Amino acid sequence: MPAEKGKPTREMPATKTTPPVKTPGPRKTVRVASLLSEDVISIVSPAPEKAALIESMVRGLCEKKGLGDPQPFLAKVFEREKKISTTLDTGLSLPHNPRTEREPGSPAGTDPLSALTGIFASLAVIPGGMADPNEKDIPISVMFLFLSPDRSEFFPVHLQFLRSVAGLFKPALIAELVKAPTPAAVLEMIRKAEK
Amino acid sequence: MVRGPSRRVTDVVVLSTAMLTFISFWRAAAIVLCDMASTAWYIGGIAEQAMGRAAPWFILAVMAFSACVLALYVEGSSMFVRGGVYKVVKEAMGGTLAKVSVSALMFDYVLTGAISSVSAGQYVTGLLNSLFPYVRIDWHLAPALFSCLFALVAVLYFWRLNIIGIEESSDKAVKIILATAVMGIVMTGFCLWTVHQRGFSWPSGELSFSKEGLGWLAGADWHRRIGAFGILIAFGHAFLGLSGLETLAQVHREMEAPKVPNLKKTALIVFLFAALLTSSVSFFAVGIIPDDVRAKYIDNLFSGLAMSVAAPHGVQIVLQALVVLVGAAILCGAVNTAIVGSNGVMNRLAEDGILPDWFRYLHHRYGTTHRMINLVVGLQILTIILCRGDVYLLGEAYAFGIIWSLVFNAASIVILRFKVRGNREWTVPLNVKAGGVQVPIGLTAVFLVLLSVGLVNLATKRVATVFGIAFTVVFFLMFLIAERLNRGRGKMEHREKVNLINEETVEDVLKHIDKPNRVLVAVRDPNGLHHLAKTLESLDDETTELVVLYCKIQHGMSFGGDIVSLGPEEEHVFTRVIEAAEKAGKTVTPLMVLSNDPFYAIAQSAQAVGAGEVVLGASGRIGLEVQLERLAMTWGALQKSDATPVTFRVVQKGGAEMVAEL
Repeated sequence: MPAEKGKPTREMPATKTTPPVKTPGPRKTVRVASLLSEDVISIVSPAPEKAALIESMVRGLCEKKGLGDPQPFLAKVFEREKKISTTLDTGLSLPHNPRTEREPGSPAGTDPLSALTGIFASLAVIPGGMADPNEKDIPISVMFLFLSPDRSEFFPVHLQFLRSVAGLFKPALIAELVKAPTPAAVLEMIRKAEK
Repeated sequence: MVRGPSRRVTDVVVLSTAMLTFISFWRAAAIVLCDMASTAWYIGGIAEQAMGRAAPWFILAVMAFSACVLALYVEGSSMFVRGGVYKVVKEAMGGTLAKVSVSALMFDYVLTGAISSVSAGQYVTGLLNSLFPYVRIDWHLAPALFSCLFALVAVLYFWRLNIIGIEESSDKAVKIILATAVMGIVMTGFCLWTVHQRGFSWPSGELSFSKEGLGWLAGADWHRRIGAFGILIAFGHAFLGLSGLETLAQVHREMEAPKVPNLKKTALIVFLFAALLTSSVSFFAVGIIPDDVRAKYIDNLFSGLAMSVAAPHGVQIVLQALVVLVGAAILCGAVNTAIVGSNGVMNRLAEDGILPDWFRYLHHRYGTTHRMINLVVGLQILTIILCRGDVYLLGEAYAFGIIWSLVFNAASIVILRFKVRGNREWTVPLNVKAGGVQVPIGLTAVFLVLLSVGLVNLATKRVATVFGIAFTVVFFLMFLIAERLNRGRGKMEHREKVNLINEETVEDVLKHIDKPNRVLVAVRDPNGLHHLAKTLESLDDETTELVVLYCKIQHGMSFGGDIVSLGPEEEHVFTRVIEAAEKAGKTVTPLMVLSNDPFYAIAQSAQAVGAGEVVLGASGRIGLEVQLERLAMTWGALQKSDATPVTFRVVQKGGAEMVAEL
């Protein structure tokens, strides 16, 4: 279920300007469990290659959430993967679409990512661990893939969400998740951890 | 130490010497005054021996002129954070003349230490000899021998203090100047009462030069035929009242923000305090002490004044004790200022490759440039031993270094007006625009006065000319040879030497931090510190600690080891960091960590020090947004609580920035 569907979560854009544009107001935290449902959670064994898993998760998300053609989303997620690592040393991988750099004040794009109404997420638990081509020494145990609206006013929410997800999937929770027998159990563990 | 598949900081060092402490204009003024105002204790006697009862008029004139010279220093310092004679002369007239001028200045510093400590010894000897009969001790200390011994003890004491560090020194300077102010008020009260009771004998306006006062001109009587020439000679004999001004340029580096307004305030305080104290003591001494009594106190005139005021004898003794105690303190303070100032000058030389790098190595415990301090103190001790307690001899020799370093300084600032336009927050007044060119009339007039006095002094001050030139030549040759040797090793860009304190964990850095708010600025490229400069600009130094983090990256997971010294890359970065902090006059806490992931290092360090704001320079390679994303991820992975708000700021070269408050 997408968060804050149909309305922008921030009124002020965060863009490259001088003087700086800040992102005021109370911090809004999107709850991870509210974005997940059993149909977008998978327990993957044996582990495929990272790129293959990302592709399958994006396709599944587009299909389950009615986001349309997965190709533009896949292109963006892989574009981001080419840059700095999205894997943390806890074993959590966070593939996502990047924010498109636009000139300050320029209108948002018309691509499907700009048109997203909120965050859409998918989770894969990999009990046997999966190799990351960019971080050879860190096996990925949990992959949390999400797509967020590519609009400047949404970027603070996107950043806050990254911080929250990284903070939620601490080693203790990951250790529990890899033992979970079903997607329902995974979701329950996340709900508990978020409380 | 953390091992295994993790992204964590494994070693932490705080660059202790680079944790600059900036001082207020009051403290800066106290340091300068410890040298300049101390002259009041001996200038009257020395000038009177050279030119007779007219001395106070010329001391007053020189002290009034000090405003012009202070203005000169303010303009020079507004151009260079690490300024002073050497830097200014080098920029204007090149390295050779800069070395000559700084050699003359070193002569001034060595002599300042010697004359101040010996003069303090003379005062203490005078007091003890006055007190012995009251406690039925039949002793009479030989002033020359005892003042030499006292001088040696004083120099060694301040040597020790400077080895420990400037913080202690500036504290002492403030206390000494406060005591001097109190004593000055008490003495002025007694002197005014005495004038009211006994009247005042104004100093004569007629010059009466001694044979020593005319030097090589003793046979001629030019000064009688050309009045202005006699005035210049007399002016030159009172010029030692200007000693200590170079210290203003040296303390400028350590002055807190805003630099130039604070420098102007410092100059004003120095001028008012020194001019009032030095001139009034000279006038009261001639006006109150009878001529035959004054001769007895020629080496400790201030004591003579205390013993001549209209008061019971017991009160006179108490006043003498007060004058001597404060005098000993301020004169010893001048020893300290000379060490601090010469250390600063030699640092500039070493930075420029003129002194061997060996001199710049820091004391392992206190982080001070102890080898430079040892050299200056060694020369001061040698001078004290050679002069054998003769204050007049020292005073005669003294003026050479002061006047010639000032001449070079003034000439250079005039040249820089034409050579380097702009880049000044303040200029010496009286500038006239003619044909699109600004003609510095005020500055040129100051230079011409200084040059005239310098040239006249060459003929009238034999001791100064002979010893001054000899010392300058020796120092100049020393600098020249050292520079050639350094050149043979290849020209190195200046690198700051720092001491390192190893800490077990990043959290241990907290003990170096005491301000309630913390900002962490991550640095990497020595030529890309625009984000640091921008942060320093708006930083509230009173309430906010600025932690500057450099992350030394070690690739792979099994990394570790201790940081035992800075590599060339880190030295380069921190040299630029220190320069930026000095320029802004704001304190920074430089921190270096060893990690295999810069974003983890930044997040971990920022959380450990409790930073509410993290500032990065924009990376052209990965983009601002991705930098923020990675920082948000690592922040989340490391945070212990979700509640702490933090601001991330990524600054681009032009000043544009992206801010995210999470």
